[in-house]
Amino acid sequence: MSGEVLRISRRDFIKLAASSAIAAGIYPFMRGAPNTAWAAGENLRMWWWGEQEAPGLEKWVKDSVAMFEKETGVTIEVTLQDTTTVISEFQTASAAGNAPDIQFLWNGIYHMESVWLGYLEPLNGLISDELLKEADATVLSIYQGKQYRLGWYAASPMWLYNKEMFDKAGLNADEPPTTWEGLLDACDKLKSKGFTPIVGGLKDGPWGEWYMGHALGPNLDTPAEALQLFIGELDWREPKYHEHWTKLEQLWKAGYMNEDMNSIDLYPGMDYFGAGKGAMTAIVIPTLGKQASMLGAEKVGLMVFPAGGKGKMNNKPIRDLQGLGISSQSQYKEIAAKFLEFLHTPERVQAIWTDSKALPTDASWDGTAIEDPLFREAWKTWVVNPDAVPYISNLMPVMFWTDAMFVNSQKIIAGEYNGEQAGENAQAVATKWREQNPDLLEHYQIWAEDLKL
Amino acid sequence: MSVREMRATLEEVHSATRVSVSRRRFDWSVIIKQLVLLLAAFTVLFPAYFMVITPLKTQEAYSLSKLGFPTQIYLGNFETALRGGRFFLWFGNSIILSVGAVALSTLVAAMGAFATSRMNFRGRNLLLSLISSLMVIPPVVMLIPLFLLLTRIKMTSTYPGAILVYAGLLAPFSVYLLNNFFRTIPHEIIESALMDGASPLDILFRIMLPLSAPALMTLITVNMLWVWNDLLIALVLLPEDSMRTLMVGITVFGSRYNADVPVSMAGMLMASVPIFLIYLFGQRYFIRGLVAGAIKG
Amino acid sequence: MITLGKTERRARMLRTKPWTPYLYLAPVSLLMLFVFGYPLIAIFDFSTRRIRGASGPFIGLENYRQIFKDEVFQQAILHNAQLLLAVPILVIVGIVLAVLLYERVAGWRIYRTILFAPFIIAIPVIGIVFSNMLSLNGAVNELLRAVGLDFLALDWLGSAQMALWSVMAIIIWHEMGFGVVLFLARLLSLNEEIQEAARIDGAGWWQRLWYVTIPQLKDVTEFYAVVSVITMLAWVFPFVYVMTRGGPGNATQVMELYIFNFAFRNSLPGIASAVAVILFLITLALMIPLFQLRARTEMEGIE
Repeated sequence: MSGEVLRISRRDFIKLAASSAIAAGIYPFMRGAPNTAWAAGENLRMWWWGEQEAPGLEKWVKDSVAMFEKETGVTIEVTLQDTTTVISEFQTASAAGNAPDIQFLWNGIYHMESVWLGYLEPLNGLISDELLKEADATVLSIYQGKQYRLGWYAASPMWLYNKEMFDKAGLNADEPPTTWEGLLDACDKLKSKGFTPIVGGLKDGPWGEWYMGHALGPNLDTPAEALQLFIGELDWREPKYHEHWTKLEQLWKAGYMNEDMNSIDLYPGMDYFGAGKGAMTAIVIPTLGKQASMLGAEKVGLMVFPAGGKGKMNNKPIRDLQGLGISSQSQYKEIAAKFLEFLHTPERVQAIWTDSKALPTDASWDGTAIEDPLFREAWKTWVVNPDAVPYISNLMPVMFWTDAMFVNSQKIIAGEYNGEQAGENAQAVATKWREQNPDLLEHYQIWAEDLKL
Repeated sequence: MSVREMRATLEEVHSATRVSVSRRRFDWSVIIKQLVLLLAAFTVLFPAYFMVITPLKTQEAYSLSKLGFPTQIYLGNFETALRGGRFFLWFGNSIILSVGAVALSTLVAAMGAFATSRMNFRGRNLLLSLISSLMVIPPVVMLIPLFLLLTRIKMTSTYPGAILVYAGLLAPFSVYLLNNFFRTIPHEIIESALMDGASPLDILFRIMLPLSAPALMTLITVNMLWVWNDLLIALVLLPEDSMRTLMVGITVFGSRYNADVPVSMAGMLMASVPIFLIYLFGQRYFIRGLVAGAIKG
Repeated sequence: MITLGKTERRARMLRTKPWTPYLYLAPVSLLMLFVFGYPLIAIFDFSTRRIRGASGPFIGLENYRQIFKDEVFQQAILHNAQLLLAVPILVIVGIVLAVLLYERVAGWRIYRTILFAPFIIAIPVIGIVFSNMLSLNGAVNELLRAVGLDFLALDWLGSAQMALWSVMAIIIWHEMGFGVVLFLARLLSLNEEIQEAARIDGAGWWQRLWYVTIPQLKDVTEFYAVVSVITMLAWVFPFVYVMTRGGPGNATQVMELYIFNFAFRNSLPGIASAVAVILFLITLALMIPLFQLRARTEMEGIE
């Protein structure tokens, strides 16, 4: 055994300290974004999403911030969020007392949950009533008479059909079907000409959510009915409320859809339409441009999904849009409101269209800049149409998307479910959600009352 | 077993087998063995072929034939992929994170392992087995509290936050490996250094670590690869667009271009080539590093 | 993971001031408390609360009750259990290929390089490449149809019956190389004479494999099996996330994805934490044999 006694000398201590100081010292240089200045003055933070679906918006956001900063001296730090965490990140940050001042919000439950948790500030009072109305964010953004978002750009879901194929199949290329029988007839004729009548991709799931939005809505009288289904006042097992899944089964079994539906994702499925491999498909407005340029705009027709519903919402175009709101924790709510107002000045609203070809939703925008007749029709019918109805899939929380809407459609295509079983599963998922979220249920009930009016 | 010994054994075995094979007559079993290996190699190479051949096709050519050779080489997919993906940013982020995390974990692990291997103190064995047993716990178990904690201290989407977490996850394995290696270093060397008036830190940095170079190479390789290939933690702790790692970037890129397989494959190929080259040239370290665990010292 | 044995005699210790070792251990211990200590305590606490954002009211075992009656969770556990079937396959494939390489079959170095390569390719890349190849009209089915095996051209990832098996095959594809190299390295460190003696005694290839090689690989096999079990239970997230997101239906739902979804999609970190606790307990239960194994190999090393 060696007899040396090891001692920590002063020199050692300095070395030790130095190495930890190096470790610690690298941090400031490694910080991703310089958010250290935050809270020192009038520095706002804005978290947003949208470049993913409407390329060009990032430029618009950056320009807007630069202009606002120049005008007011206020600085705004902008962060583009990731698709998977848009919702949860804001909630977590809010719970930790670290929310951004301005937050991008999807419609319906995606921000209503935050409203109920007290994370969002009502815009009434902060923003003029006039602008609240002009830049309304659909009825799904209002809770107990208060509005929580300002509309930004349109995200309405719609259907496209291929006029050339309709023509070749002996169908009227200017009048797409409006009834279920009409749809089946069209599918039949298209199929006999060797066309795939309906194309889509279901592997990643959202097609199932789109389908429910398009096909269940028409069987309802008001959006409130969808909420009642979800909170247990109505029953998914009643035929009226799962008939749309039975119809999906019917379309699939008749061979009216692309056979690889379950093995490709949403966008590749949609692109079958653009590539001329299918006669009809579901899209959202921001993707209209791509499909039109792929297929040739003259061949593209716009249509409402002919679900053959018996409710008051049957055959109505759906209007949905993305929006921005203000955190209840913001220390600069007035400034944030000023910024939102600035985003709705005529020049900025016009720039949404010029920068990204996303359609602004402001009622004040006259749309004269839209030269393309296809976009014009889309804008008229799906964005500023007073007859349009809200998108009911937005009333259901994520769990219902993944466990009911995605799963039901995927299982029907995989031959594991029929419409009835899909209804049972929807009922079970809704029940599960209620049990797991008793604290939010009460608000859901109030919201349903709101929407009945 | 040291590298040199291993190689020596290898050579021996090599020459021995050669002799015995040449002595034998033609043997059916050789063919069967080759067939088995060829089949295994085919399953490995088939996706690689797909990944290399697809980006050279236009989308039309791809939709006509998924496997065929492109009739003419098209390079536009790489251009599109480079414009659509921020590969350099993602590479940069991944490099910073893996270098930072490996450096930090190696430093603290070396200090810790120095104590557990060369110093006597109460609770030594307990502490050592406690730390090294942590390596079996899957990160997903710790993820939620870590995410909430980092959010609270405003460290999500920052390099330091992620580096601390990665370094912590790497440390148990590092301590374990270095502890075992430090033990094998002859005490005489340390003793003579002590005679020359070296301090403990001198011993750690000038003797233990340089003498542990093979173990360190192993450790660094394994740990780098681990951080480099992580998806879950990066996905959760670095949600900001500008902070994406290569793995998250690839995933997002893949779903963005899922409608355009040739572009998607161009991205996959570009993301894989650097690592593959490192693998080809540094194969010895990769393989030795990753199997260090199974072979006794 | 490492099982460097104590082949050396116990290393001699330095004499230090009593607090010096603790000083050296402080940084790593602090890091451990931050990354493991706090979270492992926190998940138990979170799992008994209805967490909204970062905290929430105490609700006892309600979260556990919820997950155990959730069909999706039952499926997730079942799928993880099903994935365990990959473990014997990995072991067998690993041993067979390693033995072939060990016998210096012509071109063995090239084979080794090729067979190990999948292990270093990033999992998202693997996932995306295979997703495309395995789609109904993808490259794999094109190949099958070309050679007349039309009946085998299935919807590999899109049908509920096949999806989990396909995912499992891809995991095996990725992990296989590690096993091969592991077994090969062990074989190279073994005593050649026993093999040679068996050969001289006239033992055939299979006999030598069964009676000589496999027993000699016992400890590595056990080690590799335990590591693979843990992989299949708790490290398959990236495969599933990239390729199927748990679908179609819930056909490829696994525990990790369930945790991820509840924590970051359904905004119910409390329920996610309850699953994390269960997963933690399962790995803890698996750790015991692993450490017994290690202790035993270390003992053998001393003898």
